[in-house]
Amino acid sequence: MKKKEEKRKEATLTRRKLLTRTGALSGILLTGCDTQFYRPPIIRDGLMGVADILTMASQRLLLSEQQLVQEHSVSEITKDFPVWNQSNPEDEEYQRLRAGGYREWRLPVTGMVNQPVSLSLEELKRIPRRTQTTMHICEQGWSAIAQWTGAPLLSVLEAAGGVKNGARYIVIDAYGGWYEGYDMFDVVHPQTILAYGMNGKDLPLGNGAPVRLRVERHCGYKQIKFIKSIQVVSSMEGFGRGTGGLNSDYGFHWYAGA
Amino acid sequence: MNKISKNWIYRHSYNARICHWITAVSFVYLLYSGIMIFLQFPELYWGKVGFQGYPAIFRLSDWGLSWEEADALGDRRWGRNYHYLFAWVFVINGIIYLGWNAWQKSFYRKIFPTRGELSVSNFKAEFVRHLRFKAVDRKKAEHYNVLQKLSYLIVLFLLFPFMIISGFAQMPAFTAISPELIDLFGGRQTARTLHVVCTVLLTLFVIVHLVEVMVAGAVNQVRSMIIGKYEVPTEISEEA
Repeated sequence: MKKKEEKRKEATLTRRKLLTRTGALSGILLTGCDTQFYRPPIIRDGLMGVADILTMASQRLLLSEQQLVQEHSVSEITKDFPVWNQSNPEDEEYQRLRAGGYREWRLPVTGMVNQPVSLSLEELKRIPRRTQTTMHICEQGWSAIAQWTGAPLLSVLEAAGGVKNGARYIVIDAYGGWYEGYDMFDVVHPQTILAYGMNGKDLPLGNGAPVRLRVERHCGYKQIKFIKSIQVVSSMEGFGRGTGGLNSDYGFHWYAGA
Repeated sequence: MNKISKNWIYRHSYNARICHWITAVSFVYLLYSGIMIFLQFPELYWGKVGFQGYPAIFRLSDWGLSWEEADALGDRRWGRNYHYLFAWVFVINGIIYLGWNAWQKSFYRKIFPTRGELSVSNFKAEFVRHLRFKAVDRKKAEHYNVLQKLSYLIVLFLLFPFMIISGFAQMPAFTAISPELIDLFGGRQTARTLHVVCTVLLTLFVIVHLVEVMVAGAVNQVRSMIIGKYEVPTEISEEA
């Protein structure tokens, strides 16, 4: 029993730890009981909106200790991890960067941060990395296991001097026109990383080179690939239809934990 | 029962009636939306992982519908939205139903078989009667028969909870909330496969349920599930 408790403690980032760790994000309330984490940026009409809140609130309550997702052993890594959605953005700038081995790729971190920065791949790799072997669950029904290596998103925001008061979402733009928004509840999760490595190698083209997001408690469509930029914002208004991402603009759930 | 008039018996309480119809509507939506989701990934796997090209234990294409054809028929955007909406309707309705009835002694009398009903001879008699599609006499019409009771118990306390739990085991959030649950199923894909198997079992239950309603008299049965009163056929009630 005690062992189980210890194990749980290990796997759990306590709220206090989280708050000290996130000194750079002091403006944000990060308790799982904060109702801002119970709702998507736009609540849909009628019963659909009620169901969205029920799903999100119940899961966020159950996740309020920011537990880590299960990590698998290296031997369980899936060979032939599927490539889904766009596999090579038809984007001039992207193709130029790709031809140059991504040496000129930059990640601007802007918006409501104290010191906007633009990180190169090398600079991103200098941030203390995290490696995790996790299961990718696609909303369509498939699942596969891979090992991801990258910089914690929280560390990247710290590298930009932390976020300002009132910051609520981060918006990630991708080459090829995709964009997706995430709230701070997911940003602070230790397994939310900007992954540049997959199964011990550089992130392959089809899986989103040079950098994709791993936000492990969500379906595959939130794991945005081919990252172009990060903005910290107080509202999703003005991005697409304002629902918080391209997938939810199309009518899929913004909260993809279910 | 004291509410019996000459040829009528009071059969279903109003909470059972309301919850029955909400369950019925939820079931139709959950089944249809589930099919819409499944059609856009019409393969089943066993274990933790599975994807197009991975050894499948079931392929719709083996049954004459190619991946492309199935994909064109399905609509998982609509499907996922309505699946989660009616999952909530179903769960909340179920909690209300059980919460309401857990305190009613009559509920246990109604749905749990008595020791006498569990005898081999009674089983035999009920089987034979069902196979002959014979309706019951008045005295028995007041109660569920033993096969009815057992199938309702299995659906309420086994298949329905199983659907909910195997649904949880497919959700990415549960890799953090309770990975033990996913492991209990032997992996995410096994949970998905068993979710579909359980769907088939529930659908079979509904088909048999509807056939039984026809046999026992559709108008009378459906009416009793709306107004609560059940008319006992005259000639039988005269016999009794």
